[in-house]
Amino acid sequence: MSTTRRQMMLVGAAATGALVLSACGGGTGAGNAGGDSGDGGDKATSITLMAAEYSKDNTKAFWDAFAKEYKSKYGYTLNVNVVSWDNIDQQSSTMIQNNQPPDILNLNAYASYAKDGLLYGADDVLPSEVKSDILPTFVKYGTYDGTFYGFPDLSSARALFYNTDLFAKAGISAPPTTWAELEADAQKVKATGNTGYAMPLGPEESQGEFSMWLFNNGGDWKADGKWAVNSEKNVETLTFMKKLADAGLTQSNPARTNRADAFDLFKSGKAGMVVGFSPLAGDLDKDGTVKYAVAPFPSNDGSESKTFGVTDYLMAFKKKGNQDAVKAFYELYYSKDQINTFIEKEGFLPVTTSGLEYFQKDDKLKVYLDTLPNARLTPTDDPTWDKIKLAVQQNLGGAMTGDPKAVLDKLQQTAENGG
Amino acid sequence: MTTTGDVRAPSAGTTPGGPRARRRSSGVGRVSAPVALLWLAPAIALIVGVVFFPAVMLFRASRSEYSITGLYKGSAGWDNYAKVLSYPDLPVVLKNTVVWVVAVVAITIVLSLALAQLLVKDFPGRRFVRWAVIVPWAASLVITSQLFVLLYDSNYGLINHVLMKLHLISTPISFLGDDRFTMASMVVVGVFVSLPFTIFVFIAGLNAIPDDVMEAAEVDGASPWQRWRQITFPLLRPAMLIATVLNTIYVFNSFPIIYTLNDRNPGFGHDTLITFMYKLAFKSQEKDVGMSAATGIINVLVILLVVLVYLRLVNWREETSR
Repeated sequence: MSTTRRQMMLVGAAATGALVLSACGGGTGAGNAGGDSGDGGDKATSITLMAAEYSKDNTKAFWDAFAKEYKSKYGYTLNVNVVSWDNIDQQSSTMIQNNQPPDILNLNAYASYAKDGLLYGADDVLPSEVKSDILPTFVKYGTYDGTFYGFPDLSSARALFYNTDLFAKAGISAPPTTWAELEADAQKVKATGNTGYAMPLGPEESQGEFSMWLFNNGGDWKADGKWAVNSEKNVETLTFMKKLADAGLTQSNPARTNRADAFDLFKSGKAGMVVGFSPLAGDLDKDGTVKYAVAPFPSNDGSESKTFGVTDYLMAFKKKGNQDAVKAFYELYYSKDQINTFIEKEGFLPVTTSGLEYFQKDDKLKVYLDTLPNARLTPTDDPTWDKIKLAVQQNLGGAMTGDPKAVLDKLQQTAENGG
Repeated sequence: MTTTGDVRAPSAGTTPGGPRARRRSSGVGRVSAPVALLWLAPAIALIVGVVFFPAVMLFRASRSEYSITGLYKGSAGWDNYAKVLSYPDLPVVLKNTVVWVVAVVAITIVLSLALAQLLVKDFPGRRFVRWAVIVPWAASLVITSQLFVLLYDSNYGLINHVLMKLHLISTPISFLGDDRFTMASMVVVGVFVSLPFTIFVFIAGLNAIPDDVMEAAEVDGASPWQRWRQITFPLLRPAMLIATVLNTIYVFNSFPIIYTLNDRNPGFGHDTLITFMYKLAFKSQEKDVGMSAATGIINVLVILLVVLVYLRLVNWREETSR
């Protein structure tokens, strides 16, 4: 009797203990975010990388191979955690809440993290020859408050994709070089029963589409260090985009079309033009069903086209004892073999001078590479942008059914209030 | 119940302490407090670990201030609650929540009653049809929702294709992009996934109705409608109660359907409290975990209140004591 009772008690206690432990595992941890800068104390022998998944086929494979190389060369273990773009914000935010940030985080924003004092600056972890190799544009946009925190992993630049079959059918011989031509061409493509211009202003990336347009109308998000979201040029730009939509030259409901949907429309051969980037070209080549060509995006007045560039970041979190391992990580990642392999496999563009040379061999990338050093980016170096970006994603589409100026005025107000 | 106990007591209690004490030690239905606690320990631990602990953490988060990165910055008092309650889009979200829950639950109950009546009848292939009904329940909500996104698509969706072929419409309808159709399109999916559970609750309820009551009514000359209205329906009320309360909670808390189908629409125009909560934390310009947690607490209170009011209205005590 007493034995069974004791056994039961043990079982009960074990069950209780297990539950309590598992409950705690998700909650409180003893990490050390934003603490001391890593000198002294125990040296970390393994670090964690949280990487965004650019493609199912390549991302995980690359980082796994990278981890092997990293281990054999430096002796540190790299725990690779590849997360989809849909979830990465949520997961990284949860980890930081629990005081257990990854050592390296791959994301499309960094300034808020730098502002919160969580990151290593370039002087702490980036070998100096790497810093001088990174293209000055990206150093500029990766610098917050005088320190370079946002180390770019890859970049992309946008260009105008047009369906050559539809253009031929509509009797258009060359891609548009002004907005007036773009409008006329869209009209002609529409006459063939297809969508003239696929315009994604849905929440996925409306700031990207709008950036491409406003940069090519001489506008910008910020001017002279001040927010200029509702500048005259920008209002003019958005009004023109609305005009295209109202005239039925775009797909129905541009405000509710995500970038992926617009790409799908173009891939199905039903759209004349779309703003795309190299991974779209990769998909189109693989399918091989749509004949297309790529041209610089037209500017409003026919002046030289400006491209909208995007870069993502590999940022390093200050954690006790991880500085050496993190430094080794960057040394290896920015070595020519690694970074260029990664960018080539994923179909993106380089971020370094040496990478620019390496990719010259590919004729298809010429249209992007030529524009890359002068690419314009969104103001990723301003932490406020991290909030404005979200506000733009959720609200810009409202201009398609409302007043473009009112929408931009409201966004400007949000920006001036600090997001 | 107490009466029967009292009736037995005198005969058993002739030797005071004797039988009653023996009964306790013989262990039929009675154990000492520590032993009882031991047996309850796993359940209690489960409730503490899975329900109580996260609830406390949620409440703590709702009273904290977080940076956009998720970094804890200090206590926020009741600020997060004030910010949520004064949020400009909250009235729209509340309206959407009411429309969503009432429409899905009401349509589901009515359709399920009809379908359950059909499925308790004996007909060839009944087993097959019953299995088929379970399928939408077994499939993951995200997969089902994604499937409907494809069906509803205005460029290549099957529904538009069929409607165009039948010449019912001349231009495709953007079911998920056009404000007039979005909520209705989501309600259809909500009903679709709620039907299986509800139908089976009603099938169980119908099977529990004794045949002799029906036969008696038939002999008395009641018409089929009278029989249904005055016998079947009242006897189904416990099943109805369960179906309504559980569906209300499930539908209120339903995230994947609205999130997936409403994915492309900017702002909060078609969000319910649940997706509103998610967007506050991860998609909106606030990107504020604290405000999101406060919404979570408010959501729990709202659903509790709704269920309590409903139980009150249908005389819960009376129903369950039958």
